[in-house]
Parts: sequence; structure tokens; C-alpha cells
Amino acid sequence: MKPQGITGGSFLFENPATALVMGLCPAIAVTTRVMDALWMSAFVLVVLVLSALFMALIARARVSESGEVQAATLGRQRLGALLITATLTGSIEVLLTAYIPEAIAGMGIYAPLIAVNCLVLSGAERATRAETVANGVADAVASGFGFACCLVLIALVREVLGAGTITLFPVGSFGGTIAVPGLSCDPIRALGLAGGGLLCLGYLAAALRSLQTRRANAMAGKAGVQ
Amino acid sequence: MAERPEQGGHAALIVAPAPHVGIPGSTAGMTWSVVGALAPAAAWGIFMFGAAAVFVLVVSVGTAVLAELLCCLVSGRMTLSDGSAVLTGLVIGLLLSAGCPLYVPAAAAAFAILVVKQSFGGLGRNWMNPALAGVVFAQLSWGASMARWLPARGVAESGGLPPLDALRAAFSTTGWSGRTPLAVLASSGYTFSGLDATVVQWVNAHVLSIVGVSLRPGFFDLLVGHVTGAIGTICVPLLVLGAVALLRRGVMRWQVPVAFLSSFVVLAFLFGGLSTGQGWFAGGAGFQLFSGSLVLTAFFAATDPVTSPLGLRGRWVYGIGLGVLAFVMRFYGSLGDGIPVALVMGNCFVPLIDRATPRRQPENARKGVA
Amino acid sequence: MSWVAIIVTFALVDNAILARLLGVCPDITEQGRMKGAVQIGIAMTILMTVSSIGAWAVEDFILAPLGLSFLQTPLFLFLVLGVGFLLELLATRVIPGFAPAPGFSMAEVGINSASLGIVLVVARSDMTGAESLVAGFATGVGYFLVTAMMIAIRERLEVEQVPRFLRGFPLHLISAGLLAYAFMAFDRAFLARILGS
Repeated sequence: MKPQGITGGSFLFENPATALVMGLCPAIAVTTRVMDALWMSAFVLVVLVLSALFMALIARARVSESGEVQAATLGRQRLGALLITATLTGSIEVLLTAYIPEAIAGMGIYAPLIAVNCLVLSGAERATRAETVANGVADAVASGFGFACCLVLIALVREVLGAGTITLFPVGSFGGTIAVPGLSCDPIRALGLAGGGLLCLGYLAAALRSLQTRRANAMAGKAGVQ
Repeated sequence: MAERPEQGGHAALIVAPAPHVGIPGSTAGMTWSVVGALAPAAAWGIFMFGAAAVFVLVVSVGTAVLAELLCCLVSGRMTLSDGSAVLTGLVIGLLLSAGCPLYVPAAAAAFAILVVKQSFGGLGRNWMNPALAGVVFAQLSWGASMARWLPARGVAESGGLPPLDALRAAFSTTGWSGRTPLAVLASSGYTFSGLDATVVQWVNAHVLSIVGVSLRPGFFDLLVGHVTGAIGTICVPLLVLGAVALLRRGVMRWQVPVAFLSSFVVLAFLFGGLSTGQGWFAGGAGFQLFSGSLVLTAFFAATDPVTSPLGLRGRWVYGIGLGVLAFVMRFYGSLGDGIPVALVMGNCFVPLIDRATPRRQPENARKGVA
Repeated sequence: MSWVAIIVTFALVDNAILARLLGVCPDITEQGRMKGAVQIGIAMTILMTVSSIGAWAVEDFILAPLGLSFLQTPLFLFLVLGVGFLLELLATRVIPGFAPAPGFSMAEVGINSASLGIVLVVARSDMTGAESLVAGFATGVGYFLVTAMMIAIRERLEVEQVPRFLRGFPLHLISAGLLAYAFMAFDRAFLARILGS
């Protein structure tokens, strides 16, 4: 049964910033605490890098003369990517539940949803088009770190402003929660709500786009000068 | 706001400044008229609550103006003179209690201008009412802090709560009785001012004894706005006065507030008592009408031409929908007195309503029919 | 939970997009015409309904008894994909003239965090089969409603006036955020009062 329908550019994004924002969407629910965002970032990074690695090793795309990838191959590839991410996510979930249950508890249903995360899937697909396996994996690592930075940034904003605390890992006598003086008395609780997450992500997406445009202009400027 | 000549498919946008055809005068003139219409209610609030009310209003309007100024600097267009920032700040301030910490009006105003209005392109391009969205943002963030009520001038014994909040508190205990809200309040020990007692007694003795009806204590206080509460919402007659002035000038259209208030009153009368076990026809519609931000929202936020539907039928639908939402949120909701969030929710449906309801042609609109 | 409670919870209080933050996808809304949105809304609702009851069945009859619940993630993912594919096949055969709008085929938009998310929620809860069905349906309806609202909002935005970096998806997210605040009217306390009275 060949899935003819899985075609088109839904997963692969030429624009890494778009892939990043789309990948952040299902993850912003965990940004109410910094610790949960850190766990989520680590989880995403591992799944991203491993699936990029597997995809690069197993499923190098057969590119025809014109540079187009066959639709059928793309469909199979996509299914393969989903299978790989789903298995990876499921296995890591099982491991975490066994050894670090507070990580999974913090992430809730958003942990298994990494299997359909657009950033992960686009990273896996980009890896099949990379020149070497190492390139594909490096690209995935970079994506993962970008994701981590953005997610933790949103979490910092939402938790500091929205709850007046910063929740980190308990170490020794340190309970794990830092209370921000002033804000923890009467924080802006609306930021800790779902709407706050969407608003933070929206403004972050705008900031990313402006950064990207500036970088593109700078590079075009350099190219022009040369 | 754009005018959309056809239904369905992809809307063709004609860029035109808000508000729409049919309203005389410029946008700026209209906005300043609304500010003027709110002035009596604001003055009453300042008279009742004193300097604290002034601080809240100043912070609210000031932050809104500063936020707008910031956006003007960034965009290069000076839009302060259209008065919309002042109006937004004023509405926010009037919906807040005089005793709330000053970061509440500041944050609400900043949120309203920066996020709800300017992020969408400024005046006329937002789809959610900035002032009310700011108030909802504040309610979600600082619900407890916003419930710090100052005693109103001459109202010493009220126990510190506005009548609506006191009513809800009474219902949550077991010792209340009575079929009307004023009766329930009396049974729970809530007292109104001495002035109210005097007036009500006099009216009962000399006027109504002929008819055999008697007013309960609190009637006068509620009617006149001699209670504690939010700065601008306590005096319903002054709000109505301002609204009537705007209606006569043609600045405000009457369909939305009339639909809103009528459907709310009908629903409250019929079903209001159900949530508290008082039965049918016992909702205390009059009490509900004079409590909280209902009248201010109905006349000054629901009528905002930018965030209400374009067509006549759409406005009726919107008004009735708001009445339903307000009823549900007032009697079953948990966010303040329920009206700001009902309005904001109604705003969410306006684009859909606009798609679904037919538009008046501009000629009819200019005749004042729309 | 009573059916009213389930419907109100899954459609409004825990709305897929505005409360659970699932399915916030620019695919649908950026390309979106309302007609495509209606099609996708109905399709997603059916998909969610069928997948929910399917997931409940798989979890209750196969995975839990065998102690294989840890297989939920990969298994349910392919369950949703499979259901989506089958539904599309069925629709093409049964409904004359049915053809998915370009870019909106079930396989492309069907497998997103919303459909997988609701399936996981249902499987991990202790609802009965009928309750799972209703929950899936309610989630789809809530999803449909919010998508329709967001497309209608998008159509009335005047893009030239919006600050440059906010145009497109960022403003979309901000609109969604405002919608989410409005939907905070529907919270657990509200649910308790509606049901209690």
C-alpha cells in the first residue's frame, strides 16, 4: 500500500527559521518552567540528532539529473522518518520514565509529540540531502541547539515574569527553585497561561525573522562589496 | 478597517481608515467625543474615591499614551492626536478599582496598546478591543490584587465589598435567604449607606405606601452609584447620559448596546436564579444591570466600530451574542464580574459574523439606517 | 464524566489549539481559504473521532493487557496515519466528486500534534469507549471552531500596516494568544458551575 498522498513540502523547510518556529509550537506548553524546557530541549536534541544520523545512513535520496527527488521516494522517506522518530521518541520516553520520571512528568503528553515535531522531521529530511553524513548530523545539532536556546528563552520569560521563579534541577541542598525578588509576590500570571506562551512565541518568531533578515542583508552586503 | 464588498472567497481589501461610512466627523473627533461622554462617570468616580482614583486614571492614561508614543517613534507616524490612546487608557482606568496596585493599570494599558492594537497595525486594524483585552489580561494576572476595594465617600458600613461581590459571597455561605438580590444582601448582613436608608424610608413612607410596594434598602445607593466598586462603573445614570449624548450626535449606533442589554436582562430575569437555586424568574435583572461593568462595556466597548460587525444584521447578532455570553459569564463564570471577558470573547466571533451576514450598501449606511 | 462535561471540556476548556497548544500550524491558516478550512475542519473532526475510539480500543484490549503500553507513541502515530489514509480513500470512493484541496490531503495535515495529542490523551485517561468517541469529536469541533476564527481574523488583517517582522505567522500566533486569553473564560471553575447547577 503505497501512500501516494505524502508529498509536497510540508515537512521540509528551506527556511530554518520557519522550521524552528514550527517545531517550537507544540513545545511551548512546557515552557512554564525552565526545568521542563531544558528537559524538552535535551529530548528534542537527542531525537533530532539520532534520526538525522539514521536517515543519513539509511536513506540517502536518489537524486535524478534534474535534482528532483522522486515523489514515491519522498513518500517512503517521509514514512521512514516518521517511523524512526516515533521509535526513538518512544524508546527514550520509556528510558526516562524508568530512570528520570520527573522529566517525563514535567513534559506530559508533549514528550511523545516530539515524534511529529516539524523541526525534527525537517532535520531528518535535510540529513538525507546533505553531502556527507557528518554534515547532516552537524546541521541537526545546530538546529537542536537553536531550538534549545529559543525554548529556554521563552521559558525564562514565562517563568520569571509569569510566576516569579526559576525552576532548575535540585542539587544537594538547593531545592531547585529560585524566587525572583519583587516579581514572586505578584507575578504577571497571564504569561504563564496558554495565551502567554503563544504571545511569547509570536514575538520570538518576529525577532528571529528580523535577525534572519539582518543576517541576509549583511551577507548580501558582503557579497556585493566583493 | 477595511470594507469588504463581497462575501465568501478571498476578501478584497480596500484600505480605509476606521470608522466606517455613516458616522459624521473625523475619527479623532469621534474618539474625543467618547472621552467627553465618559467624563461625568469618571468625575463621579474621582468624587467617590478621591486621590487614589486619580492616580489609577493618570497611570492608565499615561502608560497608554507613552506606549503609543513609543510606537509613533518607531513607525514615524504621529497618531497621538486621534485620541484613541487616551480613550483606551481611560476605559481601562474606569474599569479598575481605585485601590488596585498601580502596576495593574500600567501593565493593562501597555498590553492594550502594544500587543492588542499596535502589533496589528494601529488604529482601526485591531480585531480585539484593546482596553477590554488589557483588563482581561489584568484579571488573569492579578485577580486578587484587583479586588482591593476602597470605601466610597459616605459609605462606611458596606463591609468593603461592592454589592455584586457581596452577593456572590453571600451565596457561597449557607445563611442567606430571599428572592431578590437586595433581600439576599440584607439577610447576609450587608448594609448600605445612611443616606440610602433615609431616602428609601422616605420614599416608602410617602410615595410607595399608596401603591403598597416598598423598596428595599440599597435601591437608592445602587441607582445613584453610591457604592464601592470600579471607578467608572458605579454610576449608571451618568454613563447612560454620556451614551445618549453620543447617540444623539450619531457617534454611536444603538443596535449593539440595545441588543446586548436587552438579551442580558431577559436571560438574567428568566434564568438568573437557576445557578443559585432561587428558581425561575428570580435573577434580579435590575440589580445585575446596575452592578459591575455591564453598562460601561455595553455602551462604550461593544459599540467600538473597529471591533464590532460591519453590517446591520451582524450587529444585532453580535449584540444578542454578547448578551448571552455576558449572562453565562456573569452567573457561571469566575473571572471578575464576567463582562470584560464576555466582550473579548464576542470580539473573537466578529470576523466570523462579518463573513456570515450580508452587508448594507454604503448609500443606506449614510442615511443612518445601518 | 457526563457527556456534557466531556464536550465542554474537550471543545472549550481544554481546547486543542488554545489550551493544549497543539496543532498551531501555519500550513492550514497561511494558505487557508475558509472553504479549505471547512474541509480540513470536518476531516480533522472525523479523524480525531475515529482515531480516539481506535486508540482506546488498542490501548484497552491490546496494549494494557499485554503490558505493552510503552508502545503507544509509535503505534498511535501509525494508527492516526492509517485512519487518515483510510478515511480519505473512503471519501474518494463514496462521495462523488470528492477531491482533497491541494495541500490539504489527509496524509499531509492529518498527522499533526493535535490528532496525535488527543489520541494520547484519550488513551492515557480512563474514559470508556463511548466517552473517548465523544472526546475525540469534541476536540475536533473545538479545533474546527478555532481554525475558522483564525482564518476569519487573518482575512481582515491589513498586512501593509502591520509592522514588518510581525507579518504572517508571528501575528497569527499573537492572534491565537489573544484568542487563548478570551477562552480562559472557559475554565474548570466555569465547568464546575455549569455542571453543578
